[in-house]
Parts: sequence; structure tokens; C-alpha cells
Amino acid sequence: MILDRLGKELLFFDGGMGTLLQEKGLAAGELPETWNLEHTEEIVDIHRQYFEAGSDIVLANTFGANALKFHGGDYDLEDIITAAVVSAREGAYLGVTDDREVYVAMDMGPTGKLLKPLGDLEFERAVAAFGEAARYGEAAGADLIHIETMSDMYEIKAAVLGAKENTSLPVFVTMIFDERGKLLTGGDVAAAVAMLEGLRVDALGINCGLGPAQMLPVLEEILRVTSLPVIVKPNAGLPAVRDGRTVYDVDPEQFAASMKRIVQMGACAVGGCCGTTPAHIASMTKACRGLAVKPPVKKKETVVSSYGQAVVLGDEPVIIGERINPTGKKRFRQALKEHDMDYILREAAAQQEAGAHILDVNVGLPDLDEAAMMRDVIGEIQSITSLPLQIDTVDPAALEAGMRMYNGKPMINSVNGKQESMEQVFPLVKKYGGVVVGLTLDETGIPDTAEGRADIAGRILAGAAAYGIEPKDIVIDVLAMTISSDPAGAGTTLEALRLVRERYGVRTVLGVSNISFGLPRRPVINAGFYTMALMSGLTAGIINPASEDMMGAYFSYRALMGYDVNCGAYIRRFGQEKELAVSAGGASAGAPSLKGAIRKGLKEDAAALTAELLKEEEPLAIIDGHLIPALDEVGKGFEKGTVFLPQLLMSADAAKAAFAVLKARMEESGTGREKKDKVILATVKGDIHDIGKNIVKVLLENYSFQVIDMGKDVPPEDIAGKAVEEDVRLVGLSALMTTTVSSMEETIRLLRERKSDCRVMVGGAVLNQEYADQIGADFYGKDAMQSVYYAQRVFDR
Amino acid sequence: MTDERTKEALRYLGYGRQQADSLVAEKIGQAFRELERTADRRFVSREFDLSLTGDGEVWIGGMHIRSRSLGKNMKGCCRAILLAATLGAGVDRLLRRQSLTDMADAVVTQACAAAMLEAYLDEEQERIAGRLAGEGRYLRPRFSPGYGDFSIRHQGQILAMLEAPKRIGLSMTDSCMLTPVKSVTAVAGISRHREPCHRRGCEACEKRDCIYRRNEG
Repeated sequence: MILDRLGKELLFFDGGMGTLLQEKGLAAGELPETWNLEHTEEIVDIHRQYFEAGSDIVLANTFGANALKFHGGDYDLEDIITAAVVSAREGAYLGVTDDREVYVAMDMGPTGKLLKPLGDLEFERAVAAFGEAARYGEAAGADLIHIETMSDMYEIKAAVLGAKENTSLPVFVTMIFDERGKLLTGGDVAAAVAMLEGLRVDALGINCGLGPAQMLPVLEEILRVTSLPVIVKPNAGLPAVRDGRTVYDVDPEQFAASMKRIVQMGACAVGGCCGTTPAHIASMTKACRGLAVKPPVKKKETVVSSYGQAVVLGDEPVIIGERINPTGKKRFRQALKEHDMDYILREAAAQQEAGAHILDVNVGLPDLDEAAMMRDVIGEIQSITSLPLQIDTVDPAALEAGMRMYNGKPMINSVNGKQESMEQVFPLVKKYGGVVVGLTLDETGIPDTAEGRADIAGRILAGAAAYGIEPKDIVIDVLAMTISSDPAGAGTTLEALRLVRERYGVRTVLGVSNISFGLPRRPVINAGFYTMALMSGLTAGIINPASEDMMGAYFSYRALMGYDVNCGAYIRRFGQEKELAVSAGGASAGAPSLKGAIRKGLKEDAAALTAELLKEEEPLAIIDGHLIPALDEVGKGFEKGTVFLPQLLMSADAAKAAFAVLKARMEESGTGREKKDKVILATVKGDIHDIGKNIVKVLLENYSFQVIDMGKDVPPEDIAGKAVEEDVRLVGLSALMTTTVSSMEETIRLLRERKSDCRVMVGGAVLNQEYADQIGADFYGKDAMQSVYYAQRVFDR
Repeated sequence: MTDERTKEALRYLGYGRQQADSLVAEKIGQAFRELERTADRRFVSREFDLSLTGDGEVWIGGMHIRSRSLGKNMKGCCRAILLAATLGAGVDRLLRRQSLTDMADAVVTQACAAAMLEAYLDEEQERIAGRLAGEGRYLRPRFSPGYGDFSIRHQGQILAMLEAPKRIGLSMTDSCMLTPVKSVTAVAGISRHREPCHRRGCEACEKRDCIYRRNEG
């Protein structure tokens, strides 16, 4: 078994395949896997040469063999993969002349597509594609799955899940990092390693992209953070173009010398990638054979990650933002009910801006499909921020949905000392990886004493160990109870924090603001308690990062405890008073007016002046007398070409700020305006450029239309279905490319069929009046203002 | 003083040759600073054989293209360079975040990102042109699929021939849109003869009613 040898003795991979095939006549852009069937002898021969050169593990020629690259063509995927594995075995038969044990790996490379939300490939479709390929590989007799040349963490996760859910083979993963230690999609070494260890792969490392010399710093970083055996497979140097051909400049001897150094640094399995040949591998095995491997060192740090960054829960305090949670928040509950993603995402963006390091995500509401909501919210939040997330739910289905969807190694909130809870949560952590918050309560409730809570923490750690989950992946929440009902509560919590830290060495987390429940000026108590908790060993406070008191406590603690070099962060935060926006735009020159503020696009001024006006005028009078006239004026200027798009939108944003003030007042007094006219906006299927649609949305909202924003890449059925369901009389569609205008046409056709009283307006870079007529649209808006005017006409305003 | 890329950004924002007021100018400055932090610029290019027939049939390596506008662009060339560049996925996320929090910022960043990408391509192209000039060869202006009658459907082949997903993390959707969004692929001809002043991309385009058209003359 390969796993018995991995990490204990040095193992050799093979070298490049593509480069050799190109020499034998493979054209650029041609699928190399077709050669498994068309030129079997050539493939067998290459494998034979690598085995002769001393390779222990040879990758079958299946790098691009997946359903996303081979679909409906002349080749059957299973045939391609089976032939590949059989050829590698044949190569072993011919090439291995001693009695050494060798292995054939099912090779899986990237799909060549970017996953949603940035691209259009569904995560589950990627999992299925990798899973299918892995299954064929195992059936054909592969000894392991080798996932390589990966540059996107999300795709790696899909590949690993596909392999693990469909086979029982060991899984190795190697990635392309650049010289700065970044994946092409931005992830760093620590983030990728955290996720892969969480997914429990058997080995990880780096291949392709760089030559051996350039890989050294990246390797060093991998070895610093990982507990797993490390694989290194460099290119033969950096590619250069000579006479129109790609060539690599590191010869076999130089390559061997570098690989020797790489083994001495701590790599357990080595081979080559692009540009390396059997000669490189022969030279490498000769130079390295007999070298002892450094056994992998277990790391003890508690790490969570997103696709972009890792956050270490260590001695320095970490802030977990608590705002994405409906508890006690009417507006947030409404957003969840209405699937108002924008509202939720703004909370995420605001907390990042305020300084949170991790965001808690709780979307639980009675009568809501929490699993579906969790999946959507996690996907969406990860499209705007790279902060790691804490999946917060008591619903096991929602927990799994979130953990599966999550791109990185998540934090999980929570497990507790109850047997049932551990049985639900730990298997998921074992499968998907994560750092779990362990609440110190069990079947008997929350112990009154610090001792009692520490005991439960111990049982949680033992329960986790039974699933192979290490203590570093558990953080303990000793629970804060309000002091208004239990005067000793704070003391018990602080003592318990010290105790679990001392006794188990684990990191801790705490929902800090519970402490002040029922008291006035809660932030005052909260901030005081937060500082005390940090002193008692709290690692991660779940707090509101928008609270000045809490952030004050955080920055003070770091400065006082010497974590903030030269008090730099403290000074940056508090060193200068924030400038007043009013002075920036010149609205203060002369008597400032709301109209003027909107014309100039000054958000803060518009809000402040609206509040001022509310002292004398009714909200509706302000809308009709100030807001709408100002917007009309700006809109006309835009049409005439005296106002430009950024100014139009700045005015729209300023008006929005004013509306928010008015809306709050109207809700207080219960004098809402009549029911709003609904408009659906969507970027059509296949199209991912949505900025034009977003511009139209902002403007329509200004004119108090209720916009149902269906997002981008929306299938025609969904749009028609929504129009029927919400009884919508106007749909706006955008498309940017000629290739997606056909989806627009199809959407219009479907709307006519299902909702004949619904008007359709269209816009987008490729459209013009003629084109719009051709696809049967009711209106073509050449710019965003035109769609506002048309909407007004449709609704007889 | 307005630099070249700010001028380009203003053109994308519909200003033509007009100046921005101080608030918008400040926004543009901010957007470029934010992009300098966020953008992860990557570029790949590769040279291929080229053959042309007079009536708009173009072969680049194994890729067959029917396009009169491309044929015209490549006239007199003996080889072709495929190239691709991206600003990376971080810019997509930045744009999305700004669309939620401040649409004016999003629109300005979008324009600045487009200007930055074009400037980056210009730079890379100049570097290649410099190398070629040393060999007595000359690089023509680039031409991207989706313009003129050069079909966007060739996007997939170009990406595959450049190994763009692997080399620079650039791929495309089923409808041939590049992902990350702020990316470009293009073809540029190589000629043995120095051609007198070739029109740049925008001026060469036949969509004369385009509101973003650079003013000629």
C-alpha cells in the first residue's frame, strides 16, 4: 500500500507528459487524452521510460479526462480513462525490471472552467464530473487519485469531494503557486493547506508553474504550515519561447541537484512537470535515491480559511462579526423572508469595513428552508469578501449545505456536550473539515461552575478525538450569561475561560454581548467585559464590529498587550477625526439644500438635510417637492450630455440615502406610500456582466419602483415563473454579448406565452432598436434613464 | 494634468474628451489606487504559424477562422501571436462589492479596470514588439474575438492554445464570456515589413455609432 510508504520513504513521481506528446506531434489545443485510444503505443512507451527512470508513481494520461472536456464527442470518457490506466500498467510491466512496488495514479487536472459565482460552472456539476472520472479510474485499477495543476481552491474542493465520494482510493493534491505563493485565483498557501487538511487528503504539494529553484520559498511556506506529506513536481525551469516553440532551460543534472535540495528541505515525494523528461527523472532518482525523508511534523495551530486567506486563532485576538443573524433584528428577518440578498451582503461588506476577521452567518427562521438559504447566502457572501465564515445553525441539513458549499475551511457554530449534537456535527467536520465551536452545555444544561463547564469541554474534545478530529480544530465557548439575572455570571465565565485554556490548551470563543442583556447602555458593559475576557484568554469574541466601544476595547487591548507595533493600528484608527463629508463637496458654500446635495451626489449631506427638513415637512412632501425634482433635473442633464454616468449614480445614491431617512420616519408613523409597482430585472442566461442591470436598478428604486433583482445568468423559465408568481407587469432584461441575445429572445417568447400582459424592456451593449424589434421586445432603452421613463409610462405615472 | 489611462477611463464613462468635475476625478483616482492593490495582472502569449487567403479565411496554428475583418488586419503577416491578459478574480469581487455599496464607485472602477487592462496589454505588446524588432519582425495591433466578424466562438480555442486556464487562471463560460470578467484575448499579426501607421483597435472597429468610440483625427 502506498500510504504505508508515504512520508516514511522517498517516493518518485514521473515527469512531463504533454511536452513529450507535443514532440510526438500533439497539436496545441488538441486533447492529449485522445491519444490513449489513437496512439496507445506512444503512451505506453512514455510510461515505460519513466518506470525505467526509477519512478514509483506514474500518472495515467487522464489529466483532462472529465465530462466537461469530453462530452458528446467521438470518444467515450470511460474508454479513454480505462485505456489510460491500462497503458500505465503496461508501461510498468515493460519498465519495472526489479521487484519494487509501483503505482498508477488516476490523474485529474482542472476542468478549464471557473466555478460559480465568478464563473458559470455549478459546484455540484464539478463534483459530479470529477467523481465520474475518479470512479472510472478506480474501476480501471488505479492505485490512487492524483489531483494536480490546480489553481482554484473551489475547484480543488470539488475534485477532492468527487474523488472521496466515489472511490476509496488515497487522494493527493498538488497546486500551482506563483512566486509570491499565491494561487491564480488568489488563495495563499496557508488557506489552501487548511482546506485540504480539513478535507483529509493524504498528501499535498506544488506542481507546474515554476522551476525547482523558484519553488523553494513556496515549499518552505507549505512545510511551515502543513502536517501532511509534501509532494513537489516542478517544471524544468521557466518556459521560454525559442523559434516559436516553448522550451525549458533546466537540464537533467541541474534538475537533479535542485530536487536533492527539495528532498532535504522536507518533500516526501518528488517528480517533474512541464518540460521534464525521462532523462530528468533518471537523473533525479539517481541523485536522491537513499536520501532519508524528514517525517511530516504535526502542526498545532487553529486555522480557518476562505478561498483567499487563512486566519489563525492564536494569541492575538480575533473578531467574529455577529451581524448576519436575524435574532432580534426585524429588518434582517424581513430580508431573509424576501430573499433580499443585497441587504445581507451589505451587512457583510460593512462588517469587513469595520474590521471583522471572520463573519458569523446565521440565517435560521421558522418556516424557511434554512439549508437552501444557507447555501445561497454563503455563495453570495463569498463572492464579495474573502473573510472566512462561521456557519451558525442548529439545523444539521443547513450545516451540511453550508459546509459543502463553503470555499475554504469554515468555522462551525456549534457542537455541544450532548451526545446527539456530537453525533450530528462531528461526522460533517470529519468529511468537510472545519474548526468547531464547542458550547459547554449538555443534557443537564449549563453548569453553574467554571469546573463544570471545563469538564464538558473535556468531553467534547474526547468526543471529537473519537472521530479523528484534533483538539486544534475545536474552540471552546464557555458561554456568557447575563449579569442582570446572575451576578456571579461574569466571574464564572472568566474563570472558565482560564480553566479550559490551561487544562486543554485550546482556543476559545465567546458571544460577548449576552453579558449585558436587560441593562441600559449595553455597549459600555460589553466593552468592559470584552477586555476582561481577552485578559482571561479569550481568542475570538463574537461581537458587533460596528460598535465603537467594542472596537475601542479591541484596539486598546492590542496596543496595551504589545501586539500593535508602535501602536500603529491604534493610531491609524483613532489618530485623526473623520473629515466631515459636507466640507468635501462644497454644498456648504451658500445655503445647503437637499436638491443641491442630490445634484452634487453628496450622500451624507443628503441624509442630514433630509432629517433637517423632516422637522418642518412631511415625508411625502419632501419626496415630491425636493427629491423627485432633483432626480428629474439630473436625469435630464444626463440625457442632454451635461451630466455623466458617475454623477447620475452619485445623485441616485444620495437620493437613496435621503429615502432611507424618510422610510425610517414613515415606518415609525405607519404612513407608508401606496403599494409599489413591481419590476423584474435580470441579466439573461449565459450572461455574467450585470453592471448595466445594476445601474438600472438603482435608478428605478430611486423612482420608488419595487425592483425584483433576479441577478445574472438567469434561465428564461425562472424569469417567466417569477413574473407570473409576483404578477409583474414589467420585466427588464440585459445582455452584453451577441451570444446571449438568443437567451433574451427565448425569455421574451416565454413571457409572451405565460404572462401576455407583461411588457419587456431590453438593454445592453450589443443591442439597438433594430435588434430589439427583431427579438420582440416592447422597448429598447439606450441608457438607464430611458428605462425609468418607460417604466413610468407602463405604470401610467 | 490628465494621464492617458484616466483619459481612457473617462471615455469609457461616456465623457468623450470632456474633463470630469473634482468629485468624479477624485473617484477615478481612488479607483485606480484600489485597483493597484486588488488587481493581479497576468499575461500569456504564444506564437503560431499563420496562413491567409484573400477572402477572409485565416489559419492560426490549428485554428481556422472565417473573418474578413481579421483577414484585413493580418494582411501581409507571416506569423501570429495569440495573447491573453487578466486582472484576476479579485477585481470581479471588488466590482460586485461596490455594486452593492456604491454604484457610482462600481461604474468608475469598471471603467478604470478596463483602462488598466488595455494599458497592461499595450505594455506587454510593446515588450513583444521590442523583442521582435530585434529579429527584424514587426508586431501589428491586436484584434479580439467578438469584434467585427471575428466570432466570439473562437474564444475557447484561443484559451486552449494558450493553456490560459492553467497559465493565468483565465477561462470562459458556456457562452464564451471570459472569467474573470476583466480579461482580454486577442490575435496580433507579425510581419517582416514595417507597415506605416496602423490604426489602433478602437479606430479600426466598424461599429461607428458606438458611444465609446475614440474621437478620430
